[in-house]
Amino acid sequence: MNDPTAGSRGRASIGAAVGAVARNTTTALRDIVVVILILAGTFDGLSGNWPHAVLLYTVAIALGRDAVRRRASPELGTPTAGQVPPTASAVEAGEAVEAVEAVRRQARRLVAVPMLLLAILAYAVVVGGFARYSWPTTIAVIIPGAVVLALSWNGPLKPREAPAAVGTVGTVAWLAVFIGIGLWELTQLLLQPSLTTDSWRHPTISVLSDPILATHPGRTIGLILWLLFGWFLLDR
Amino acid sequence: MNSHDVAVSVYLLFAIAALVLQALSLRQDSKIPSLGTVFSRVMRTRSGRVGVMAGWVWLGLHFFAR
Repeated sequence: MNDPTAGSRGRASIGAAVGAVARNTTTALRDIVVVILILAGTFDGLSGNWPHAVLLYTVAIALGRDAVRRRASPELGTPTAGQVPPTASAVEAGEAVEAVEAVRRQARRLVAVPMLLLAILAYAVVVGGFARYSWPTTIAVIIPGAVVLALSWNGPLKPREAPAAVGTVGTVAWLAVFIGIGLWELTQLLLQPSLTTDSWRHPTISVLSDPILATHPGRTIGLILWLLFGWFLLDR
Repeated sequence: MNSHDVAVSVYLLFAIAALVLQALSLRQDSKIPSLGTVFSRVMRTRSGRVGVMAGWVWLGLHFFAR
């Protein structure tokens, strides 16, 4: 027996599903970071750099899903895990306890920092020996990258005070530098004979770094700088 | 001065500007925040933090990997 209402029920459920997908997509795209990652991933994919595109799309999807999850459960709030507002907590918790903890932290750092620096040096020397743009190098970059991305998901590694607000003057000054260098890089890229043909007359930063990164010592130094920058960021 | 020299000079100018801003941020009561403060501010939310770290991973892929 055919149910005469089955067709309309099916259309209604399809409509509800489409509506839910549209709502979730809109929620995800309200986050400017998700939009930037999708745009960057799209252009990287179009340029044939699919491992880059996969990375950027994966992070965009993860952040988009997180935004949808938080919309569905508002009690989750804005995730700023690990950051605490500046208070007079040191006084409240007892300055003696705080002082002991500070000494312990200092002792841990005295051991951990040299070990980490040694690990960075060893990694850079070994991976710097691999050919540039090879699969061994790609895997060696993806592994620490994935670990750091996973570590960064839940906020700073150690509790820290919420950062001070950045005033208009500071925002404009730093934005001018970042946007300026980005636009200049884009100008050089567009002045090349084609997007995939390097130009000595109109060098991008990648082209300028090519002679340095063509050698083992150059790649080692480059990898050390990359890892130290990652450490600096992870410590924010 | 050819177009290569001009391009490199402009990159250097931006690098010097960043160093000057960082130096200015060290003064007391400076209105210019340090680069660390700027990143801390951008990375105070999950999407900002993970987005910046994704940018860092992308740099590694771009310069060294496939």
